[in-house]
Amino acid sequence: MQATQIIHAYKQAPWRVQRQYVGAFLLFVIVASMIAALYLTVTARAAVTGREIQELRIEITGFQRANADLETQLADLTSTAVMEQRAFALGYRPVKPGELEYVAVSGFVAPEPAILLEAEDVANPERIIPEAYTQSLIEWFDEEIKFGGAKQP
Amino acid sequence: MRRQYALRSMTLIAGFGLVALAILVQMIRIQNSEQAAIFLSQGDQYAGEFRMFYPERGEIYDRNGHLLAGNRTVYEVGVSLLEMEDPDALAFTLGTYLGLTYEEVFKKLTESPDSWSYVVIQDYVDANTVAALQAQVAQLETANDFRLQGIAFKPHFQRSYPETSLASNVLGFVTRDGRGYFGIEEKYNDLLAGNPVQVWVPRDPNKATEIPRVPNGTTLVLTLNRDLQARVESILDEALIEYGAQNGAIVVMNPRNGEILAMSTTPRMDLNNYTNYFSLYNDGSQYNRSIGTAYEPGSVMKVLTMAAALDAGLVKPETTYVDTGSIQVGGFTIQNWDKEAWGEQNMVGCLQHSLNVCMAWISTQMGPTIFYGYMERFGFGHPTGVDLAGEAMGRLKTPGDSDWYNVDLGTNAFGQGVTATPLQMLMATSAIANNGKMVTPHILYSMLRDGHQYNVPSQYGGSPITSQTAHTLSEMLAQSLSAESSEALLSGYRVAGKTGTAQIPTDFGYDPSVTNASFIGWGPVDDPQFMIYVWLNAPTSSIWGSQTAAPTFSKVAEQTVILLNIPPDNVRLQLTSK
Repeated sequence: MQATQIIHAYKQAPWRVQRQYVGAFLLFVIVASMIAALYLTVTARAAVTGREIQELRIEITGFQRANADLETQLADLTSTAVMEQRAFALGYRPVKPGELEYVAVSGFVAPEPAILLEAEDVANPERIIPEAYTQSLIEWFDEEIKFGGAKQP
Repeated sequence: MRRQYALRSMTLIAGFGLVALAILVQMIRIQNSEQAAIFLSQGDQYAGEFRMFYPERGEIYDRNGHLLAGNRTVYEVGVSLLEMEDPDALAFTLGTYLGLTYEEVFKKLTESPDSWSYVVIQDYVDANTVAALQAQVAQLETANDFRLQGIAFKPHFQRSYPETSLASNVLGFVTRDGRGYFGIEEKYNDLLAGNPVQVWVPRDPNKATEIPRVPNGTTLVLTLNRDLQARVESILDEALIEYGAQNGAIVVMNPRNGEILAMSTTPRMDLNNYTNYFSLYNDGSQYNRSIGTAYEPGSVMKVLTMAAALDAGLVKPETTYVDTGSIQVGGFTIQNWDKEAWGEQNMVGCLQHSLNVCMAWISTQMGPTIFYGYMERFGFGHPTGVDLAGEAMGRLKTPGDSDWYNVDLGTNAFGQGVTATPLQMLMATSAIANNGKMVTPHILYSMLRDGHQYNVPSQYGGSPITSQTAHTLSEMLAQSLSAESSEALLSGYRVAGKTGTAQIPTDFGYDPSVTNASFIGWGPVDDPQFMIYVWLNAPTSSIWGSQTAAPTFSKVAEQTVILLNIPPDNVRLQLTSK
């Protein structure tokens, strides 16, 4: 009986009750801090990635400009007037009809007018970026619930 | 004591609670106030900006992939007034590099309205100048000298034509506002320019992926052959000098499908400096005379009159006619070009000697209904539908028009009193070179968009004559050229064609001393692969087409067979028989 009373008194000791409250409060603080830290990390990484995307876009635009410039420069260097001048400087002259010799080549098909197409254009860059980089946590969670982890069609 | 302590605690809690409640209420009130809405909208303004993204204008290539119109980067050079440190230094440096005066730049920097935070000093500055200027700024900043702080460079595209004036009459040009004028640039402006997109660009990096991509304008591939175009332009320029002509036009077309291989007129302009337009042309019709200027073509029209007569069954090549040197039509006397009588002639002789009287006799025998019916089917009085801006359609007067007289039936037969552009003449005559089927001339070969090539199909403008008529007439024209040892002949190749010499109408009648000299021809006769129209306006060394336009045709044909790899007839027949 006395032992029971002592245990009961111990359980109800004011310092013990206070420690339980403090423990619970600290637990709440720790969990909240962890969530805040996680949120901060994810947001910071998203911000850095977003900034990188912006910079890459600027870089792509720069490359496109450089491409167009180089193409035009190349066309300048191979223009009719320049090529004719270079040919004359190298000792060439326009051919005359009587100087041409035509040879039959079996199986030869005259080339059809066409130019080399540029590399396949990326009409919609969003399609090639994995969804993990574009969807939010809630969207991912929603998708997991709807499709149960199966790949979206 | 404990009760007192509890009371105090409760009072303090209540006090703090009230303060907290007051703060909360105030927060909610502020958040939902009118001012908050204003502040929010102001904040949204700084969260990003609306930007108009202009796509890169589509390029233009010739049929072999040579760039005829592209884009190059130029810069807008400006100064951010908020960052500006030293207007003096900026005015001096920018003035030196951009070719402006110190005062001019200084005034812009110091006398701009207070509300301005940025001022443009000069636009369309070339990349080399900007590179030099950027190097100067970087050099100073390395030495911790920030007097040039605030200079900004905004890149954008400018249209560039690597071949300068080559095919300028076909290409047209683009002004600084991005709009195409004349030729391909105007006709396909919407396709080339693409669709500008206005985009909200957020400053929040998290929203970076929301910026959509702006697709470039459509790239066009033309049917033109750059090398042939260059040779044709050169031949035309030489012909103008040699024969003292004011201006002219030469068109080379494939009569099988209507592809225009070369189209040259004078004057031409450097497309990179389009401001010269006003000093070179009095009006838009002169920009490309091949399609913009309709004129009385003269005797080249006889080909079509003969085609109509043959097709209608009125005459055959061996049909004879006694030429007395004149004929009465509608009360007027029509004479030959030399005012002589040529006696008995068959239809080949009529063409060979280019007899006006014979042609007037043929047209009157046909009568206006049949004759004008054929001319309508040949497309006179209608635009050809070529895909170039600024096409004129000429004029074919017909019975019932207030200014049509009976004599017109006679004069129209040899190309007087009717107007057409060189391209209309080519289109009409293509029926003879192409087994009776008339082709619609076109300049666009294909379009490139989003990595796909879309070829433009050839179109036909009807069959005004039968295949047999076309073959018969081709033979007649080839025979007549050979018989007169025309200067149009090309060694090794059998060609068909017809000269034209037309007096130029004035307010006081026809001026006998000034003519339009023309030649239309095609070859090889048994398998036509090219068709050429030459027009020389007012040649002075000789007024005759046979002495000016015909030799010019021969030169163009010579270059055409070389550049298109068309072997001489005997070689070609040997090769095909193997």
